Amino acid sequence: MTNNEAFENVNEEELFRFLREDEKVSSEKIVAPRYSYWKSVFRVFFKKKSNIFMLVVLVLLLLSAFICPLFMPYDMMENITNPATYNLSPAAAMKYFGGFSFKWMLGSGGMGNSIFYGIFSSARTSLMLAFICAAINMFLGIVLGAVWGYSKKVDAVMLVIYNIVANVPLILLVTVIVYIIGTGFWSLIFSLCVTGWLGIAFFFRTQVMIIRDREYSLASRCLGTPLPRIITKNILPFLTSVIVTILATELPSYISMEVYLSFLGLGLSAELPSLGRMISLAQSAFLIYPWEFWPPVFFASVLTILLYLLGQKLADASDPRTHMM
Amino acid sequence: MDQNEKKVLLSVQNLDVAFKKGKKAFKVIDNVSFDIYKGETLSLVGESGSGKTTIGRAIVRINPCTAGAIYFDGKKISGKLSRKEDRDVVRKIQMIFQDPSASLNERATIEYIISEGLYNFHLFKDEKDRVAKVEEITKEVGLLPEHLTRYPHEFSGGQRQRVGLARSIVMEPEFIIADEPISALDVSIRAQVLNLLKKFQKERGLTYLFIAHDLSIVRFISDRIVVIYKGRIMEIAEAEELFAYPLHPYTKSLISAIPVPDPRIEKEKKLLVYDPSMHDYSTDEPSLVDLGNGHMVFGNAKEIEEYKKIRFGN
Repeated sequence: MTNNEAFENVNEEELFRFLREDEKVSSEKIVAPRYSYWKSVFRVFFKKKSNIFMLVVLVLLLLSAFICPLFMPYDMMENITNPATYNLSPAAAMKYFGGFSFKWMLGSGGMGNSIFYGIFSSARTSLMLAFICAAINMFLGIVLGAVWGYSKKVDAVMLVIYNIVANVPLILLVTVIVYIIGTGFWSLIFSLCVTGWLGIAFFFRTQVMIIRDREYSLASRCLGTPLPRIITKNILPFLTSVIVTILATELPSYISMEVYLSFLGLGLSAELPSLGRMISLAQSAFLIYPWEFWPPVFFASVLTILLYLLGQKLADASDPRTHMM
Repeated sequence: MDQNEKKVLLSVQNLDVAFKKGKKAFKVIDNVSFDIYKGETLSLVGESGSGKTTIGRAIVRINPCTAGAIYFDGKKISGKLSRKEDRDVVRKIQMIFQDPSASLNERATIEYIISEGLYNFHLFKDEKDRVAKVEEITKEVGLLPEHLTRYPHEFSGGQRQRVGLARSIVMEPEFIIADEPISALDVSIRAQVLNLLKKFQKERGLTYLFIAHDLSIVRFISDRIVVIYKGRIMEIAEAEELFAYPLHPYTKSLISAIPVPDPRIEKEKKLLVYDPSMHDYSTDEPSLVDLGNGHMVFGNAKEIEEYKKIRFGN
């Protein structure tokens, strides 16, 4: 009761006062400037120093993989006739080849090949493979997944196809393809892409279905918005973070897939250097000759981790809730 | 008022809506018929799950009708329509959604959200005209042109609902379905949004189908009220008639649930609970019967006699 009495003693006019019309407007005025969506995505992304650092390292790694092979021609077979050069540690190799050199600073491999030069040439092959596969699979996956998720008729057909194809083991498929068209860069890309998009499309189908039935999409339908605009304005903006995340997991997965298939002899042809081939050649004796094993593993891991982390950060930045000043 | 003189804008006739097909079919709306006259506000009230929203969505054709038909301006709009007719109906019937945060696209600016319908029907001469239209409607719903560049998450619930209102009104519709437009809002904001709705009705001669579960608000806004229970209409009457003479026991229980802003009365108030097993429909099938003054009640012959006695005396 004491509370009530205290309030009763206060004059109502002292507690509240009506705002004048012009006061209302000025309090509502906001100085936030017009900003574009993608600009603010990148502003948020670049605000963090760690993101810039990771991006710089990634760009350096990518550039090195594509530029270094031009200056450092790698030939796996250059010392094949000289068994004395096989499996030399960094110190022994530099001693054997006469003093310090970049070429031998990581030692030599099982055929007298330079590990340091080998990494860049191998990384170039692996990255090209990963980028091409990711581009093809993501494009097909997103476009077909969007149609798949939106149309109930397509869904019925595609689900049957998906259930059949998804149950064929990839190894079996790759084996058959390799037997038919042989090993090689493009045949590997073909075998990774021929069914690879299906999983991505299935994932996007589910995402699209969720967003399709959300209330703002119903609202768009009530406003008569045509399908292409619903896809570009209502669905894709919500999927940017998902797309970036999937890309960040897909890219490294192709690098490791290549390692796996090369190990089984189904991957690239023998004369083409790749991270997978380097790792599989070195892994049988990686306790005795660690300098052959760890550099490509380190390169591949740093690359995949950076791709994954940056993908996550970009996905976070693409949410406009994080865009506030 | 003589209802025969008024023009029927929207007519729902023997509407059935069922979810799932065949044996699993579940009837959500069962033989619902009502008319909405031009310029009036008709409210649909009922508990959650009674099918209010489904009726609204059947009218904007998000949910297909299983049986029955919906007529708008004399033309049938349920079932297949030609592309031109379809676009025409889409523009003329607009919807305001319940949850203002779920019904606005979070990745689009307010300007795009309000212009979306304008873009779809190209309801502007040039870019300047569009901006002018958008700014005008923004001011009319009580927002500022400065708000246009912002995203929905930067607004309060009331402001978001104003955006939802603006995007419907800017289409210059004839008929608006307001699906619980204020139930997600703070009590202090509700009156503002309701007043806006009333203002637009007066200025533009709009017709509303107002879906709600709160009878006190319905009384404030509607001309006529439809009480619906488990997909069937229980009672239709003009607002004051319904509050003065609630006849169906379900309506009575709904009205008894309205809170009274006086603790002493509220404490003593007896809540009525509706029990459908009180009706004995084993021998006589019930139907919706007009008592003679536009007041319609659902019941069998015996019940209708009783209702007539209560309403008109002997």
